[in-house]
Amino acid sequence: MSDEGSARKVVGGWLLLGGLLAVAILLSLMVGQIMITPAELLRGLMTGTGPGSLTLRVLRGPSTLTAVGAGAVLGVSGAIFQILLRNPLAAPDVMGFMSGAGCAVVAGVAFGLLIPLPILAAMGGLVAALLVAGLAFHRSGRQSPLTLILVGIGIGFFASAVSSFLVLRMPPQEAADAQRWLAGSLTARNWGHVLQVFGLGALLFVVLALQVRAMALLELGDELAAGLGAHVERARYGLICTGVLLAAVGVAVAGPVPFVAMMAGPLGMRIAGVRHPASRLTAAAIAGATITVLAEVISRSAIPGLQLPVGVMTGIMGAPYLLWLLWKEVEAGEL
Amino acid sequence: MKAVVGLALLLFIAMALTLVVGVRDAGISDLWNAFFAFDANDPTHAVIRSVRVPRLVAGLIAGAGLGMAGTVMQAVTRNPLADPGLLGVNAGAAFAVVVGALLTGYADSGMMAALAFPGAAIASVAVFLVGGARSGAGSPVRLTLAGVAINALLLSLVSAIILSRNETLEIFRFWVTGSLAQANTRPLEAMFVALVLGAAIAVIIAPRIEALALGSSLARGLGTKPGAVQLCALLAIMLMTGAAVAVAGPIGFVGLVVPPLARRIGRHVLRHELAVSAVLGGSMMMLADTAGRLVVAPAEIRVGIMTALVGAPVFIFVVRRLRPGALT
Repeated sequence: MSDEGSARKVVGGWLLLGGLLAVAILLSLMVGQIMITPAELLRGLMTGTGPGSLTLRVLRGPSTLTAVGAGAVLGVSGAIFQILLRNPLAAPDVMGFMSGAGCAVVAGVAFGLLIPLPILAAMGGLVAALLVAGLAFHRSGRQSPLTLILVGIGIGFFASAVSSFLVLRMPPQEAADAQRWLAGSLTARNWGHVLQVFGLGALLFVVLALQVRAMALLELGDELAAGLGAHVERARYGLICTGVLLAAVGVAVAGPVPFVAMMAGPLGMRIAGVRHPASRLTAAAIAGATITVLAEVISRSAIPGLQLPVGVMTGIMGAPYLLWLLWKEVEAGEL
Repeated sequence: MKAVVGLALLLFIAMALTLVVGVRDAGISDLWNAFFAFDANDPTHAVIRSVRVPRLVAGLIAGAGLGMAGTVMQAVTRNPLADPGLLGVNAGAAFAVVVGALLTGYADSGMMAALAFPGAAIASVAVFLVGGARSGAGSPVRLTLAGVAINALLLSLVSAIILSRNETLEIFRFWVTGSLAQANTRPLEAMFVALVLGAAIAVIIAPRIEALALGSSLARGLGTKPGAVQLCALLAIMLMTGAAVAVAGPIGFVGLVVPPLARRIGRHVLRHELAVSAVLGGSMMMLADTAGRLVVAPAEIRVGIMTALVGAPVFIFVVRRLRPGALT
């Protein structure tokens, strides 16, 4: 990034990324059963009256902002694992951490535990991560990232099955809600959800910011990082914990939405054209937010009069990306 | 010989439990009478003949079909993680039936269920193309991930379509996780014929598949055309998986759990393995279904959830046993 041209390209990339998010948010506020024009939104924002104001305060504002927050934390979480394991497939959704978090939340509700959802989700996510690490451990001491990913997929299968099992213990109405939530849902979010995801998310972003230097060192390889004064193991565990907790914050407000965490990192990096870990994480946050908001608005308005779970939409968007990724690597003879 | 007796016993127990256990308890004498001294006024007899027998037949078709399809897939791809559920073949069959019902406006019935076959075939071709398994040397990771992606995509679409049609929760659950609870409304006879056809093809080409496993040049030397064998294998997988999904929905993990056991019992002779897979698959399906009816009675857990609870740990076990070289 020494010459003028590439610096300008990077600025352009950031503008593009930010612009996409702004467009997504605007769409999400405007589109629905009743269309609201930008002028009405602006009037609502300024005067606090009219349909624009109602949309912002009650109808769409909270859901849209929850989508922004959840998408951002999930995107960053995905990027952390992708950078640590140097593999685009390493993400909390693929590796079962989010299913684990979702399973813990469902268990808490099914057994009537009075523990706040984010804490339940965090416990579930951490247990899933420990299980993945433990079960992928090999005596030879060499853990291939691919073993981790496959074991994670297995843990995800198991956690989802346990969640479906637990849903049956609930009364019918609650069970239907839980089933919907397990598919990833952003319907009927309120300002409490917004506050929760932004508050906890901001806290974890600060924690992460303190670890970014170590992360940049880890990227150079363990030996070089140790030589440059990093505590390799400690730094890695710290980052893994932060990543799992970020994913849990997202799950607590939006359910285990699939594929957002996996897509956000590479997409953000490509659009913004950045390489440094700090920039990659920021780009992943913006890209994750954009994907989630878009998925939310499409799932709400694709079929008139029907609200699909947002996870159905991220599944439809994310699975082709995963297939493309695999196809590309087959062509290149990698993986 | 011991193995044959053991398998027969297992199958017998699984069948007996399927018929006896349920909300309405039936004894062995009820069972006997329901078949040999049928009394139309006895509700227990009616339940056994109109609900539990179809359930048994559906469990046998689905379990045997998925078990044998898994064995054929693992033999052809030499990949211990191949399973029609994990690789999205089940989801392809379910997707085709649901789309057929959407486009024609009819509820899914006998005619629609036939769409499960092209659906299964297209999904298998897609997953093998993306997974790079054409040569039989695709890595388990790539194939599994391609399956996960295709599965996620198709099941998302199935959910979207069913939700948009305001169908009941029961129908949704049938087409997303699979269940034997609707067995008496499924086209059992036709799917039984399809299963037998698929099994026959698999048995006929079994020696050729084994020759293929020696490497394609050696197989050619022995007079086997790799392309033709793979096409026949695909046909067999399509028929068996399609039949299973048409009667029971997309049930995962049976085709993952059964083949390694069948390899042991069948002593690495593919024809024997196929026979063992049919018995083990059918028994596993019926036992899982019975357990699902017992655990939270009077509610019931769909058989697809039960197989996933058993199958996911097996998946992890198989991953751990993969040779490190097999992952790259």
